[in-house]
Amino acid sequence: MLEIRNLNISYGSKKIIKDLSFELGSREIIAVVGESGTGKTTLALSIMGLLSQQSGDASVSGEILFGETDICRIREPDLRLLRWKRISMVFQNADNILNPTMTIYQQISELTGKNRDGSSIREMLATVSFPVSRINAYPHQLSIGERQKALVAMAYILKPDLVILDEPTSSLDPDARVKIISTIKKLSRDRAVLLVTHDLGTARSLSEKTMVLYGGDIVEMGPTEKIFSGPRHPYTRGLIRSYPGMDRTKDLQGIRGKAEFIETGCPFHPRCTQSIDICRLLKPVLKEYGGLKLACHRGGIIPMLEMRDIRKSYNKNNVLESVSFKIYEGETVGLLGKSGSGKTTLARIIMGLLEKDAGEVYLEEEPVKKWDAGFYSRVQMIFQDVRSSVSHRLNILDAVMEPLVIQKKVNRTDNITAVKKVLTEVELPSDENFLYGYPHHLSGGELQRVIIARALILSPRVLIADEPTSFLDPSIQAKVLKLLNRLQEDRGLGILFITHDPGVARKVSDRILRLDEGIIKNERLN
Amino acid sequence: MRKKCFSYIIAFLIIITLNFIVPRLLPGDPLSAIYGEEVLLKLSGETREYINSTYNLDRPVAIQYVLHVISIFRGNLGYSIYYKKPVIELVFSYIPYTIILMGLGMLISTALGIVLGIESGWRRGKRYDRFILFMMIFFSGFPAFFMGACFLIIFGVILDILPFQGAKTAYSGMAASGITFDFLRHLILPLLSLVFVFTPSSYLLTRNAMISSIKEPYILLAKAKGLKDIRIRYGHAGRNSLIPVATHTGVRLGTVMMTGTLFIEIIFSYPGMGTLIYNSILNRDYPVIQGSFLFVAVLVLLINFLMDISYVRLDPRIEYAY
Repeated sequence: MLEIRNLNISYGSKKIIKDLSFELGSREIIAVVGESGTGKTTLALSIMGLLSQQSGDASVSGEILFGETDICRIREPDLRLLRWKRISMVFQNADNILNPTMTIYQQISELTGKNRDGSSIREMLATVSFPVSRINAYPHQLSIGERQKALVAMAYILKPDLVILDEPTSSLDPDARVKIISTIKKLSRDRAVLLVTHDLGTARSLSEKTMVLYGGDIVEMGPTEKIFSGPRHPYTRGLIRSYPGMDRTKDLQGIRGKAEFIETGCPFHPRCTQSIDICRLLKPVLKEYGGLKLACHRGGIIPMLEMRDIRKSYNKNNVLESVSFKIYEGETVGLLGKSGSGKTTLARIIMGLLEKDAGEVYLEEEPVKKWDAGFYSRVQMIFQDVRSSVSHRLNILDAVMEPLVIQKKVNRTDNITAVKKVLTEVELPSDENFLYGYPHHLSGGELQRVIIARALILSPRVLIADEPTSFLDPSIQAKVLKLLNRLQEDRGLGILFITHDPGVARKVSDRILRLDEGIIKNERLN
Repeated sequence: MRKKCFSYIIAFLIIITLNFIVPRLLPGDPLSAIYGEEVLLKLSGETREYINSTYNLDRPVAIQYVLHVISIFRGNLGYSIYYKKPVIELVFSYIPYTIILMGLGMLISTALGIVLGIESGWRRGKRYDRFILFMMIFFSGFPAFFMGACFLIIFGVILDILPFQGAKTAYSGMAASGITFDFLRHLILPLLSLVFVFTPSSYLLTRNAMISSIKEPYILLAKAKGLKDIRIRYGHAGRNSLIPVATHTGVRLGTVMMTGTLFIEIIFSYPGMGTLIYNSILNRDYPVIQGSFLFVAVLVLLINFLMDISYVRLDPRIEYAY
């Protein structure tokens, strides 16, 4: 039905769509998702052949094949015959896209022709639950939701082969949204639909296939359910995390930085928390990864820490029996269990403070052979008992600096700068007074922040947090949890959050593991 | 809409009141203001009192005002000294020419301006647009009387193909069809001048409105709908560009068009209100001047009112503005 090959679109020197290729079957619904400004609407308009209308300096190369015709190459009069009869569109901005001086009926009837009676128009309007009694109203007399419904009715009235929906539900309340989505589904049964939206809920409920667009590139593409339940690309995950879904209890997280158009390398690399040198230099190509297509040099979100079949017993008393799980980059795994279920034992094994009986710990997909300075610069831990986890003989500066000294970084001026920076990051003061104060001068909340700062000073990739807030007041706990959430957004920390409090676990985790009698009893997505 | 009518009634009353007050503010008494100093010198005391009581000038101002209003509604606007006819009669014999001339001038120039403006704005920057734009800007610099004089000299005198004086050939004794033809021939030059004077501004306005209209999102939708070019140009872009043009035309009618027409009438000795007012001023025929002004003011008011009604039809959003 629609096949796009190597499509490039730029406005002046700004490249909006870069080398885009995909296919849309004649009864398929594909969703194109992404933030504003990633070229979604540009793509939609190019399929309508309307780019030159939108912007004078748009230049297009590549092919947009609709059946046999290449929309980039046919003349305007032939395009006119294609428009609306074969390809129609629901435009965004329902508030000003309709002609203000024509009634809804007039604007639809100029499509169907004057000699037909209005019954088919009424019928279509009724289908989208537009109040048919208001058919002769002018756009300004209708609510934005009603205008949006009229636009949907308009798009389907000529029964086109392909319908492009550009944010078709953005001005509707949840009830109306659910209704219109089911109507669109019904109306789209025997035609192709390209849904362009930043509303992930709509994309998820309407489409079979989803394409994630970033900076004019497809970063991830595959079956909708697969993408939403297990996104592989860091950008897709960021989008899903920013979207307030009803089934998610974890606090919202954004994506660090802001969208920019990048010429070289992966378009997402400045915002990606796991980017490496190659991401900056070379643009990744779309490759198949287990049923999904992905454009990522690292093969999607990487597993930071992996436990394989960890066993431990004290005096023939099995504490851990075959524990296996993974923590991905930028992910919080909540480890929930009763006291004595082996949570702390597990944490200590990960940190190399306790010998394991069997099994293997993998860090960034390499088995850990020895727990040396290299390991601790990438994995850090924060402890439950804040008072006893920092030496009372060290002042705050030395306490936070200690990991640097252990890692043999001895330039004191550099170290002080690093300490000040990390203290600011955990929202603590960094003046002399504070730096040369002692732990007993601080409250529990402040001290926990100092400990987090100490853990972060080496820029670790994984944080093991063993009951980090159980000694804190609820109000302080809330602040510390928010801080961890923000640090994760900025640094892409993988966090193992050990707690016995299910409420806390639900609030902070992407996945929750329940540890019971030494094995992981159940695992669920949060 | 009711509010709108109310404000028009108020405007009308203000005009009547001004028409009443202004002569009374002139130095000397109303008699000398109306009939002139030299008339007054020759009047005896008795005659003057007779006139004063006939015209109710000896009664209190409030009563005079009421009587003034009543006489206006009765159609009594006084008596012309020069033409020796009731003013109302005079005005009714001259005003049809003005209405025809100005009405046609307005209609043709607005229609022409709109069509050219729509075509020009649609093809912004192309050759057609640049040519028309240049011509319009060139002609928009000409004042009405100058344009009239140019046409008179070129077509009436040098080429000598069209009549340039009056509305019909005197003493011709033509048949009915001949009279109509003669009337139309006389109309051509003044009308042509008016069209040339009025068209540029409605053209420029339509073109501007069109240029901003074609960038509006609803044009994108209209294009996407695969409508015919002409339908998008006139039905969508053109239709929406008319709104500012209508507003502007309404405002201009009272001032520019009316005065323009009066000047053109004088140049071509066309027997309309312009000529009547001009002659009355020359002859110091004050009752006629007063009556003519009243009529012209009411005419302008009426046209503005009609324009106001038409906006609502043009732009349905205006209904809410009141």
